[in-house]
Amino acid sequence: MKKRIGMVLTAGILTCTMAACMAFTACGANKQKTALDEENVVEFDTSKPVTISFSHTQGQNLRRVLATSVAEFNKLYPNITVEGIDSAASGNYDSLRDLIYNQIVAGNQPNIAYCYPDHVASYNTAGAVQPLDAFLPGGAYADMEVTRADGTTEKIGLTQEQVDMFIPGYYNEGRAFADGKMYTMPFSKSTEVLYYNKTFFDEHKEDGLKVPTTWDEMETTCRKIKELVPTSIPLGYDSEANWFITMCEQLGTPYTSATGEKYLFDTPENRAFVNRFADWYQEGLVTTQGLNNDKYTSTLFTETGMNEETGQPLPRAYMCIGSTAGASYQMSGETQGEFEFTVGVTRIPQVDPQNPKVISQGPSVCIFKSDDPQETIASWLFIKYLTTSVNFQAEFSIASGYVPVLNMATMETNSVYMKLLQQADGKGNLTALAAQVCMEQEDAYYTSPAFMGSAKARDQVGALMQAVFANPSKIDEAFRSALEECRRA
Amino acid sequence: MIAFIVISAVLCAAIVFYGVVVWITERKREVPQDDWMGQAVATKGMRAKDIDAVSKKQTVMKILVQVGLYVFLVFMAIIVLFPFYWMLISSLKSQSEYNASIPTYWPKQFHWENYKYLFVNVAEDGMFIASDFDLKTLFLNTVLVGVVSTLLSLIVTVLAAYAFARLEFKGKNALFAALLATMMLPGELFTITNYVTVSSFGWITDKVGIFTALVVPFLVSVFYIYLLRQNFMQIPNELYLAAKVDGTSDLKYLWKVMIPLSAPTLISITILKMMGAWNSYIWPNLIGGNIFQLVTVGLRSASFQNAAGETLFPIQMAAVVLVTLPLLLVFIFLRKYIMRGVSRSGIKG
Amino acid sequence: MDTERAQKPVLSKEEKKILWKARLSPLKAWLYLLPTLVVLAIFTVWPIISTVRMAFLADVRDVMGEQVYTGYDYLKDMGGMYDFSFSFENFAHVVGYGGFKTALTNTILLTVITVPISTMLALLIAVALNSIKPLRKLLQTIFFLPYVTNTIAVGMVFMAMFQMIGPIKSPTSVGIINNIIEAFGGKPVNWVKEGSSYWANMTVLIIYIVWNALPFKILVLLGGLQGVNKQYYDAAKVDGASRFRIFWRITVPLLSPMIAYVVITGFIGGFKEYTSIVGIFGDVRMGPPGSIGRPLNTMVGLVYDSIKSNQGEASAAALILFVIIFAVTMVNLYVSKKKVHY
Repeated sequence: MKKRIGMVLTAGILTCTMAACMAFTACGANKQKTALDEENVVEFDTSKPVTISFSHTQGQNLRRVLATSVAEFNKLYPNITVEGIDSAASGNYDSLRDLIYNQIVAGNQPNIAYCYPDHVASYNTAGAVQPLDAFLPGGAYADMEVTRADGTTEKIGLTQEQVDMFIPGYYNEGRAFADGKMYTMPFSKSTEVLYYNKTFFDEHKEDGLKVPTTWDEMETTCRKIKELVPTSIPLGYDSEANWFITMCEQLGTPYTSATGEKYLFDTPENRAFVNRFADWYQEGLVTTQGLNNDKYTSTLFTETGMNEETGQPLPRAYMCIGSTAGASYQMSGETQGEFEFTVGVTRIPQVDPQNPKVISQGPSVCIFKSDDPQETIASWLFIKYLTTSVNFQAEFSIASGYVPVLNMATMETNSVYMKLLQQADGKGNLTALAAQVCMEQEDAYYTSPAFMGSAKARDQVGALMQAVFANPSKIDEAFRSALEECRRA
Repeated sequence: MIAFIVISAVLCAAIVFYGVVVWITERKREVPQDDWMGQAVATKGMRAKDIDAVSKKQTVMKILVQVGLYVFLVFMAIIVLFPFYWMLISSLKSQSEYNASIPTYWPKQFHWENYKYLFVNVAEDGMFIASDFDLKTLFLNTVLVGVVSTLLSLIVTVLAAYAFARLEFKGKNALFAALLATMMLPGELFTITNYVTVSSFGWITDKVGIFTALVVPFLVSVFYIYLLRQNFMQIPNELYLAAKVDGTSDLKYLWKVMIPLSAPTLISITILKMMGAWNSYIWPNLIGGNIFQLVTVGLRSASFQNAAGETLFPIQMAAVVLVTLPLLLVFIFLRKYIMRGVSRSGIKG
Repeated sequence: MDTERAQKPVLSKEEKKILWKARLSPLKAWLYLLPTLVVLAIFTVWPIISTVRMAFLADVRDVMGEQVYTGYDYLKDMGGMYDFSFSFENFAHVVGYGGFKTALTNTILLTVITVPISTMLALLIAVALNSIKPLRKLLQTIFFLPYVTNTIAVGMVFMAMFQMIGPIKSPTSVGIINNIIEAFGGKPVNWVKEGSSYWANMTVLIIYIVWNALPFKILVLLGGLQGVNKQYYDAAKVDGASRFRIFWRITVPLLSPMIAYVVITGFIGGFKEYTSIVGIFGDVRMGPPGSIGRPLNTMVGLVYDSIKSNQGEASAAALILFVIIFAVTMVNLYVSKKKVHY
């Protein structure tokens, strides 16, 4: 009796828990939700309440801008409730990616999320992201009309006119995937620009100092500045990874590919430019964020202090390549409205100024598949509203320092934004100046391929640049190791 | 600077004295002493006066050795304490004093506001914004996880230890042996699957879930069950039988007799468990992301940078002090229990 | 039991109650054990099965047999891409990966260097502590302090102590440790900044790990020493044996079980070294700035590197680590069986 109870119980408990485990793990699998596509076309019901969730990384002030736009949107679609999700991932895209990855496993992903292309590639290993092709011109929803609460109608899909409003480089980022489908819409963007100490450049005009437009000119300029101010580090470049990728793009050399062999960046041409810049670093002509104690190089750019003990000026930079989103950090120190120097902003140096290439950064948005097609359509209507609304793009840009994803011709219709751009100067209104430069080079944006591991490739080429700069003799090892780390899943 | 001279002097003195100790012991060894017995016999054969001289010499020697020992110990103690000292004084320096090329061994001026910044998220000349380091929340989270997991795990452990120590059932010894065997496996082996498991439970996407995932997988520690079972077994069986005759229920007996008698072990377990929550890094870092952070994770992931991206070491050190201090206090008051638990386990946290 | 009952046909109510209680006793035991067993089943037993399974899963291939993804990743499992097929591919990936050699070398080096150093130092300190009277409690407490600290937090302090401040070519401050080195006439060393050498980094790690490992060893060894019968020493003193001789001939042999214990646990701990490196260098780089390929990674680090993205390789790495620890522990036990005097 005793024996039997004991045995039955042991067996029972063990099997139960095991079964529970199996069941739990199994229920993680096959949580595939349904996608809307050409075969699965549904009408949007404006009378039925629908709630959609939006995961983002916005801080407080941006949430306010978003809330205003949601209120505007709700005037058109009172049945759609938008919940901003407190992702607790303020400003951190990697945390957001990890979170959503886990939400997909648990089956409780949001409807809309901030994303970078490689995030989408990893979500898509589980087939979780809704392709947007059905909503594009020529898609199943292109001509389907919906009546809004204010009595007007709109086409659910994106019209060709709306497509033409976008800056092409930003819009095309949504298609940078191996299967050629569109998965993301650009939300707000930034790029790199060259900030330079205009006061210093003006002072030394007679010495032949001029703002560089090519990398060769950059080298001469740096040498010149080093000659004029031996304690200086003439150029600061914040992102080593951007530098590498942008050089590949400008030179037309391979970096990565979404199909076939993915990691193509180990070429003699690429090694050559890495070597060249490493020499610059060794000569003290340039430094990067990773080699500057992880401090943004804007700290060097805005430095004007002295070393108290030696009386020598502290190392400072007279040029700095950094994100337009960080423009406010490039402003020189100010005492009672008097700025220590004026900042100039221009395009980053090019290999071929006739065919310029600059990186496109900043979040896009994607929609996750949902079992309720109404949620998917509501999500689409919402992101279409945000990305094509001139007012939202303008306000968001002013609040965040990012630039609108719509082209200049479209943005000109917003008077507040245009006024801001007109006030641009190299002192207090640097953000506007950077935005201006950004808008002027709208044909120059490129995007690199997005696939599982594209973020890793980015990290690795950045680390590679740092490693070779610090130790030029280790270039072989650095490339070998970077490739190996990339190929590791 | 004076402090530096003092420290250097102490260090030098320590080394000199240690040298003396070594020299003395070495010299002593040179005395031919192939045979201990022979030595003893030789001593016996000495005249009284010689013995007197020898004992005097031995006393001098003894004092020298004692001094040497102290110097060695103090020297080692300084090394052990140095990081604590450095952390404390750095946390009170200004950024510029910390960065000075000639380090100061005592802050020129005490900057207590470094500690304030950790709580109020204000700025040092508009620069420091500790937005990514919210000490209040971190403390609260950690204490919550620590208390809940300790309480639950005490209950689970007591019940299991009681079953193993007092109750009879088929397969008891085999099961206990199987439990002990799991202690052999390195934790990394479990972590991988547990990560997958808690993900599929949906335990890592919101605060409540992460809290559960921080508590539940670690409710059972085979080592604590073992420790408590040993303790329970030492309580004489007669007590149990007497209680049974009185009609006392098992639970009541457990509560009224066994638990009070094993209080020291239970206290050790409580402290070690709390310390574990305070110090744990890998698992909370893996599953908590930045949704629900424990204090160590928060400390490591916070940048302590000002807007320019410059690391503010004094403020970072202030945070380190506040994270280290509670443990040191607990240790000072409950030293006995910690040392006891530790000497038997060999696990940290 | 049944026969027993047959012989006592009449039972009082009390007796019946007791009998039932006795019969229910095993049930009760299982009830008491239930929470423990459930938790263990889910978070200890199942992981053993699942980890082994994940480690031996083959890579995902498409219909043409072309490798699509390596290893196991639960997100891929959701896409319905997995059928179990047995293979050693995960092990091959791990061993073939260059970072594996680095991690293994680092782990072995750190272990074989720090365990002897910390054991020797702990032994000296314990013996010294045992031969003094005044201040012993205080010193004992001080030596135990590192134990109750947070490995990550104090790692950050060590990093700060070895850190140079400012540009590497013209630092504004060389850091406190370099200041002390300079005070003794040495040259400042680039310990942890970009371009610092492997052995400079390792030195910092070794110092930190030893600092961290001392308290536990001192505690155990001192406990052992206090248990040693004083008569041995008295006898030796009467014989006029030197301290040195007493140490080697009496203390060490008598302490050998404790020494074996701290060495074995030290080896196990050494092979699981991870958080001290995270504390000093951070888990992103696992090396100084400007280094490539996580040069200071360890075996445990290798497991955690791929735990989120590739559980197959993580499992394989964990199994390899387990086998190594198991083998080393067996060797240790074998050696100590031969050398330890009980």
